[in-house]
Amino acid sequence: MGSCTKCGNPNVIIKRKASGQALCKDCFIESIEKKVKQTIKKENFLEKGDKVLVALSGGKDSVVTLEILNSYVERHIIELCAVTIDEGIAGYREEGVEIAKAHAERLGIPHKVVSFKESFGIDLDEIMKTEGHRGSCTYCGVFRRWIINRAAREFGATKIATGHNLDDETQAILMNYLEGNMENLAKIGPKTESNSEMFTVKIKPLREIPEKEIGLYALAKGLDIHLAGCPYAQESFRMEISNILKDLSKDHPTIMYSTLRGFDKIRPALRQELAHDYEYDRCERCGEPSSNRLCRACTFLEELGK
Amino acid sequence: MSFTLKIKDQVEERAIDGDLTIKDLLDDLDLSSETMVSKKNGEIVIEEETIEDGDEIEFIQIIYGG
Repeated sequence: MGSCTKCGNPNVIIKRKASGQALCKDCFIESIEKKVKQTIKKENFLEKGDKVLVALSGGKDSVVTLEILNSYVERHIIELCAVTIDEGIAGYREEGVEIAKAHAERLGIPHKVVSFKESFGIDLDEIMKTEGHRGSCTYCGVFRRWIINRAAREFGATKIATGHNLDDETQAILMNYLEGNMENLAKIGPKTESNSEMFTVKIKPLREIPEKEIGLYALAKGLDIHLAGCPYAQESFRMEISNILKDLSKDHPTIMYSTLRGFDKIRPALRQELAHDYEYDRCERCGEPSSNRLCRACTFLEELGK
Repeated sequence: MSFTLKIKDQVEERAIDGDLTIKDLLDDLDLSSETMVSKKNGEIVIEEETIEDGDEIEFIQIIYGG
């Protein structure tokens, strides 16, 4: 079966089809940490003195993001804080919240749990019982971003780190390209920046790591992670694209890497042609930044009679 | 000859008939190796790992749709 390409240990936990490498547990853990640190350096994600807010769900991606960023805290380069969002999905979210709390406590990281209910007066389970709702993921994405942006300001964070991985990034690139959403395509990138000071810069330290390797890293390190599927997950265009990419990757194991690398090359040209900085004002209802009279969260809340 | 298979809270005893690898077992169960991590006797293993009498095999789903 072969042994570790780096150290010769016969107990291999991964064979990377993309590179031909076989790695033992220790060398695999080291390779992931090295790659994430390379991404952080290449993209200038962190500056000394940054206070980074991690959007911590308790799932593998956010727990690994927290774990690796914590090594920068240990070296006194940055400070960390974390926010966990309780959407109000009975029987699903509770375990993730507990896992997130335990990780923040273990690492001594300031942490808050913010619910949809306390922020908006309605939770996701209640929204899903309303007639004519727009679908769970639409509310979840918009409401989560609203809470994360606000939490970043409350913590005084200079950056927001999310757990987006290589699969997420390539799915987003393909989806937007295939649907012709070129303006959205131009917004994809390692850092999301706005000309408005009301938004905090978002960074994606795991964007070059395949999703499966993030799960493997968490298990190899013995990190407790929330392993469950959202009960509201449904067939979606993203899921179709995800399946296509997984199928393609079987015979073309470098396909996600090359998709991201190629996209990163054309991104500056795309941004120049297509991305435009919106003029932001404040939402009339909540005061959050918005290019319209109402932000999207408040538009949805008005529809829901809240 | 048999081994124990654990998936989430489900545990079952299964017979081994001839040579059996983790990959064979995943295929038999129609599970995708793209979404699973496999453990043998508590240690993470790759798909080529063979299953032997008395082994405890665990499949952990790490990728969920949605």
